[in-house]
Amino acid sequence: MRFFTAKVVESQDLGGAYSWLCLEGCEALAAASPGQFAMLRGWPGHDPLLSRAFSVLSTGPGTAEFLIRRVGRGSGLLGAARPGDPIRVVGPLGRGFPVATPEVTELLVAGGCGLAPLYFAARRAQAEGRRVRLLYGARQSCELVLADVLRARGVELQTATEDGSAGERGLVTALLERELAASTAGLRVLACGPEPMLRATREVARRHGVPCFLSLESPMACGVGACLGCAIPARDRPFLYVCKDGPVFAAEEVWP
Amino acid sequence: MSAPRMEVHAFGLRFANPVLTASGTFGYGSELAGSCPLTALGGLVTKGISLAPRAGNPEPRICETAAGMLNSIGLANVGLRAFLEEKLPFLRDCGTRVLVNFFGETEDDYLRCAEGLSGHGPGIDGLELNISCPNVKAGGLEFGVVPEVAGRLCERVRGATDLPLVVKLTPNVTDVVALARACVQGGASGLSLINTLRGMAIDARTRRPRLARVFGGLSGPAIKPVALRLVHEVARARLGVPIIGIGGIMSGEDAAEFLLAGATLVQVGTASFVRPDAAARVAEELLGYCAAQQVSDVSELTGALA
Repeated sequence: MRFFTAKVVESQDLGGAYSWLCLEGCEALAAASPGQFAMLRGWPGHDPLLSRAFSVLSTGPGTAEFLIRRVGRGSGLLGAARPGDPIRVVGPLGRGFPVATPEVTELLVAGGCGLAPLYFAARRAQAEGRRVRLLYGARQSCELVLADVLRARGVELQTATEDGSAGERGLVTALLERELAASTAGLRVLACGPEPMLRATREVARRHGVPCFLSLESPMACGVGACLGCAIPARDRPFLYVCKDGPVFAAEEVWP
Repeated sequence: MSAPRMEVHAFGLRFANPVLTASGTFGYGSELAGSCPLTALGGLVTKGISLAPRAGNPEPRICETAAGMLNSIGLANVGLRAFLEEKLPFLRDCGTRVLVNFFGETEDDYLRCAEGLSGHGPGIDGLELNISCPNVKAGGLEFGVVPEVAGRLCERVRGATDLPLVVKLTPNVTDVVALARACVQGGASGLSLINTLRGMAIDARTRRPRLARVFGGLSGPAIKPVALRLVHEVARARLGVPIIGIGGIMSGEDAAEFLLAGATLVQVGTASFVRPDAAARVAEELLGYCAAQQVSDVSELTGALA
């Protein structure tokens, strides 16, 4: 983990309250693995007080990309950052997805801004020559951000929207159910998204006997295990902490 | 002019500078040591230790507020035994002063914890007694709100350890001076103030409290004016023991303000969540402040309010 000041080199409004940020000066994030995160702040002074946790979307030579869903003041300020703006970064943090061996096929399940760590996982799998499929759900088509980028890069992608404006109408877990009904051989499910979606994903994977890993989020002050704010109920002890024990957990480890 | 002298003496201990980390914001020392050079600090105060391990409160445990945050962590900690076995070895040679914060739910808990933390040599330079938790035997009333109760607890704990004993006071009282006086009469070597202010946050859209336990402790820059006032009130009472000022310190100037209000040392808390090296930076900035203000010895600032 390192603490440093990066600089915005490019930012884009992706629509649907999403922004994409590319930062330079992120050499320290080069070692980040899919599922790891960083604490970001891009405003002067003490209000908002706390940095915000974001999964790493991608890394390049000296750069790191983040997907920002603008939901409040902190994410709104980060989403509105312009080229040249300084961003303070703590990272890489936490435990990412388990390393995949060549015989494993990862089935990625993303809900909304939960795409970020799975986008990274998909790109990593492609770089390593492993087959990867992504199931991507959102409420409506404008929230299926970066889907075109993934398609253009040759990621096998299926989408679902709740209003039917793109892909299949319904929930992404319906796509998962169908995929696992067809075959489970060598599969491993990696998922990130809203809690109800993750619980449903876990249930579908459990029913089909497929290993499942979830990337969770939680209110978090420090990101490094000092504040103990990001507790999550766990199976074999009262709590695990999203920042240091996660954010990626084996599905059966959490929410007993 | 030569570099300002930053060394401070308090409770019979020498501190390299007046800046410590606050309990509950810096783990057990090792968590942030990689990002915050401990040798740059005056000292660190550990997470509060209890006799038995505590899992802590249900989530959500924290939420951000205007220039501050609320927490109801619930004093989660590894417990005395695991602290001594797993955490103390790192602290023995960590390069800074260590105060171990501790608490209990009964007087006996406090005593046994104080005894258990004593006699280990390097690694525990002093104790910080947290009297802000509920006294289960007194029906859940905090030890730290009734002067007689606080004074008696201090007196008994004083008898259980030879280590310097700093008492951390809650701001959630009407007369902080009466409490401070009772603690000093009970044998406190020093006073830390303030702990968090009790507060609450509500999500108007869901109509739910933002913390699972409804109430939490407010910290951060939002509480600095209250903290300065309380430090100054206690300092003006001239109780004869050093004060550690705590509450929303983010910069060297914030630290200087607490010294001017009457503190001898300060603790940096929530700022460490914002940046892990916050306390080291505050110490460096305080040095810069002293140099710029032509203060030759940082101790000169204590109580030097014009």
